[in-house]
Amino acid sequence: MKAETVRAALADIAADTDPTRKAAKLASLCSAVFRERGIELVVVGGSAIELLTDGAYTSGDVDFCLLRPAALSLRERQGIMSQLAAQGGPRSWQVAGLFVDLLGPLEGLARTPLRRLEGPYGVVQIVQPEELLVERILVSVYPGPNLAARDCARTLAAVGLRGEVQMDWAEVKRLAGVPEYGIVPECESLVREVADELKIKNPLDSAG
Amino acid sequence: MSSRSKTPSIPLDRPVTWEEWLRGRRARRETSQQVAPGMTRRDTGPSDRRLRQFFHGRRGLPFRPTEEL
Repeated sequence: MKAETVRAALADIAADTDPTRKAAKLASLCSAVFRERGIELVVVGGSAIELLTDGAYTSGDVDFCLLRPAALSLRERQGIMSQLAAQGGPRSWQVAGLFVDLLGPLEGLARTPLRRLEGPYGVVQIVQPEELLVERILVSVYPGPNLAARDCARTLAAVGLRGEVQMDWAEVKRLAGVPEYGIVPECESLVREVADELKIKNPLDSAG
Repeated sequence: MSSRSKTPSIPLDRPVTWEEWLRGRRARRETSQQVAPGMTRRDTGPSDRRLRQFFHGRRGLPFRPTEEL
């Protein structure tokens, strides 16, 4: 990406006052710049939930994990982020009015594809909503009740039930049952509850 | 066909275009607020200090109202 293109993108992102759109644009620019070096990033956590639900949840940072390679030297991170006039590092930088965090390798169990958003500067890869849903349900229950996580899980379930985000419900059921999560009853209960509220047939009744 | 059924989905098997993603935002926000009306960004988090310092006491920029999406 030419330096002039990057400068224009950074100016556009810095001027954007809509936090969700701004984060999506920044994720797009970061993904593109890293991809030029053969590095694939994935948006994870609250940032991913925000891109999928628009639930007004995200804070002022964009969280990435590394898809490949699994590790990246600090020198390389700093070198790439310098293209974006980033400040700070080596795991968190300030760029265009937001923070970018690079957390480490992606540790996911989902077998469904990463979701992809064709952002204005390049494709953004987003961790699977099936994994996010099951993970948030787990956090909403263990180690103790967590209402914020429960709300996140409900929003993910709802956009999935409405088809606003295509969700593979068989995969949700499978993930809930793997030993790493082990939350089938809690998952079934939450999805049933949201489906009833939205008056939508519970897909977990027939999934898997 | 209702307006909601015309809302672009974030698909599983192909990328969502930027325009589709933008057009789907309002419906996704409305759905989210319907099932989690009290949901807001967390009050605290691991990056609290730097976020509040940078965003003048908040943890991020204020969200756009749903009707403006």
